Amino acid sequence: MIWKLSLTGIKSRLKDYTVLFSGLVVASTIFYMFLSLAINPGFMSKDVNAPGQYLSFIFGFGIVLLAIITFVYLVYANSFLLSMRQHDYGMFMMLGAKSSKLGLLIFCETLLTGILAAILGIIVGLGLTALVSKLLISSLDLHITHFQIILPNAILWTLIFFVVVFFLAALRNVHKLVRSKVIDLLHENQKPIKISRKNGLRVVEAILGLLLLVAGYYIMGMPANAIFFIIPAALVTIVAGSYFTFDSFFTLIINLLLKKKGFAYRGIRVFTLGQLKFRIRDYTRILSVISLLFALALGAITVGLNFNSLKNQAVVSDYYDAQIVQNTPAVQKNVDKLDIKSKATYHYVETKKELFFNKADFDKKPFKYIKFSQHGNDFPTYTPTVAKTKDLVTPGNSANTRLSMMLLNGTKKIELVSPAKFNTIQGQKKFITLIRVKDFVKDYPTLTKIEKLQMTSPMISRVLSNTKPFTYQVVLGFASGFEFMGFFLGIAFLTMLASTLMFKVLSGAASDKVRYEMLYKIGTREKMLRKSIRNEIGVLFALPGALGIIDVLFGLRLFKALLPKPYMGIWLPFLIFIVLYFIYYIVTVKLYENIVLKK
Amino acid sequence: MNEILVVDNVTKTYGKKGEKQYQALKGINFKIAAGEFVAIMGASGSGKTTLLNILSTLDKPTTGQVFINKHDVSTLNTNQMADFRSKEIGFIFQDFNLLENLSNRENIALPLSLRGLSARRINPLVDRIAAKLGIKEILNKYPAEISGGQKQRVAAARALVHEPSILLADEPTGALDSKSARELLNTMENLNKHDGVTTLMVTHDPFSASFANHILFIKDGKIGEQMIKGEKSRTDFYHELIAHLGTEE
Ligand SMILES: Nc1ncnc2c1ncn2[C@@H]1O[C@H](COP(=O)(O)OP(=O)(O)OP(=O)(O)O)[C@@H](O)[C@H]1O
Ligand SMILES: [Mg+2]
Repeated sequence: MIWKLSLTGIKSRLKDYTVLFSGLVVASTIFYMFLSLAINPGFMSKDVNAPGQYLSFIFGFGIVLLAIITFVYLVYANSFLLSMRQHDYGMFMMLGAKSSKLGLLIFCETLLTGILAAILGIIVGLGLTALVSKLLISSLDLHITHFQIILPNAILWTLIFFVVVFFLAALRNVHKLVRSKVIDLLHENQKPIKISRKNGLRVVEAILGLLLLVAGYYIMGMPANAIFFIIPAALVTIVAGSYFTFDSFFTLIINLLLKKKGFAYRGIRVFTLGQLKFRIRDYTRILSVISLLFALALGAITVGLNFNSLKNQAVVSDYYDAQIVQNTPAVQKNVDKLDIKSKATYHYVETKKELFFNKADFDKKPFKYIKFSQHGNDFPTYTPTVAKTKDLVTPGNSANTRLSMMLLNGTKKIELVSPAKFNTIQGQKKFITLIRVKDFVKDYPTLTKIEKLQMTSPMISRVLSNTKPFTYQVVLGFASGFEFMGFFLGIAFLTMLASTLMFKVLSGAASDKVRYEMLYKIGTREKMLRKSIRNEIGVLFALPGALGIIDVLFGLRLFKALLPKPYMGIWLPFLIFIVLYFIYYIVTVKLYENIVLKK
Repeated sequence: MNEILVVDNVTKTYGKKGEKQYQALKGINFKIAAGEFVAIMGASGSGKTTLLNILSTLDKPTTGQVFINKHDVSTLNTNQMADFRSKEIGFIFQDFNLLENLSNRENIALPLSLRGLSARRINPLVDRIAAKLGIKEILNKYPAEISGGQKQRVAAARALVHEPSILLADEPTGALDSKSARELLNTMENLNKHDGVTTLMVTHDPFSASFANHILFIKDGKIGEQMIKGEKSRTDFYHELIAHLGTEE
């Protein structure tokens, strides 16, 4: 009987329940997808091409972070579930249901919801992983070939995680129900709001919060070699700073606005402010968490996309695009396909200890190389430079080093001699042709082919492993891997954090319903109520969003040493992010309106 | 006679056509003149709340018309209804009258700011009505910090601050103890007597009803008998009412 009642209860709020359930499915989907990314053996070792240990550390960290976020998220989703079902439970108790039986009902309801969501999420996750990886790979022009979609381990761990979390959630719900009185369950939505008026203390807290934020931002700009100090210190100061700021600073502002009656007494603005005032204090914890998550997610996308610029870096960090040490008809055929900008051939004679070059070749076509320079911890800059004769023959000079790296037996001493003398030297006659194309990225496949065709001996292979196409290939794998990961994590975090906020807002909707009803009765137009809702939820979304954006703007400084221009092109990830976040905002407003304004 | 409220042959049928229908009001007719204090009494399910919702433009009658201050409210659209309520009607409900997240002052000011009054004009009006209802001291407190009786007086202040044509109250004393109930009713009586506030109160309770000067009995969706206080004292009227109710059952 009671089970049947429970089903009818759920049916009567099917829409809200659907939202909740799909939220849970999304969480499980993301969890599975991240796991499948993190423990995908081929992807990690072959595509991302990064040192294994380093990467598994990053991902280990990522999993922990994601687990925490998912946990927080599930806690809020569960509280939404409870807020939805509370009234029903109260009713059952009033009707005389034994609390042990009711406890069992709640326990099963919660656990079942969680497990079903987890299973459905994994199924969706499988499909989505296939789709998203394909989509990302093609649209971002990533080179990923070893990504495995079905991973039994990931499935298992996702299930375990969800079962454990929902087991705890179920216990908590039962506990909460057993502890509370029937009357509280029935009138949960009419509980009076707590009021505190310690403004003086609040001011101190606000100042402290802002100071901590500033300190955190300052720390993130410190030289990168202190990274083991910077990250924990920045994390602590920013988390604490955000918390204090939300707890006090914004409440103070709202109090100030409420005092300005000229501002507050406009339509139902005073109501919107009143709602916000109590909301923000109630939301302090979640708003700080969300601003931080927002920063992490946005940061992940920004940095991920920025790794793309390493590709350009690989292009400019070396002057010549191809080197030919062994010309065959096949090689020549491919060279003919290139769109050549400049081409230089240097002849040399190899003796026992030395390599004698014809100076005339260098006079005709000077040898160029890239000069590195670095200021402090900034990313190095690259300048193409013409090599002087003296530089070329001085061992240890970067021009000399660059040239010798390109040569077979390049460890021998390099000498430049006049054409007359060159012709008299006895030894093996050799040459090296250096080519620069107009568009490296366009000719990259042909350039790789030219390289492959020449690799007929181990020595040649070794020499050709220092070329631009080779470096480019490595960077490409590395950058694509990070880009993919950043994008994926960014979107995943965003989904999670925005839904967390959404559920938090929606959990309060039931108790807000009476307020909106009353406002409507005393003659507030529905349009005005909607506006108030939009504004209120808008502020709740905007505050952590804005703080998160500021966090990222300062946080990107952390990547100064790793990336050439961490701030380059940040408008794109910011735009993607803000659009997605905005969609969540709209959805939340609509759902909230549906609960609150329903007659 | 200046008629504030005219109810002309109002019916209300719940349920859509083709579905199971229930006629809650079966042709209601009555008038309230300016300055009257009318109580509507009736058993549970007799249609009191239904009627009050229609009078307050929260719901539309199935047939018939309602005139408030000469406006035919049944022709208004949703926005006009909202504006009309904020201008012409003051409400006191049984419970959940006040917004817990606003101070009492802000609660009372709400109808005025809804109507677009400037803050400079709002404050004196709030102070004046608060003085009249004896709640000046608690204006800066929050609803959670005051008693149930005080809450209802704040609610009354909010209902009257914009000087509506009519005050509608649905079981205003329902959630109060007898002392607070008496205080609130005295207040309403005084407002009616001295300030000419036209009042329509729906109630179960004979004691509450005895404060009115005109009682309408609603039964099965129709207005049955009426009682008029005239020159009788409240206590006499109360006893008469009790006796009347006794013969009913
Ligand atoms: N939304 C509705 N849909 C269908 N029937 C309704 C609806 N609202 C009320 N009714 C019916 O109309 C009749 C009158 O209801 P109403 O709420 O007006 O009674 P009431 O006099 O206010 O009762 P009470 O004193 O218990 O509040 C009742 O029989 C009720 O079942
Ligand atoms: Mg009723």
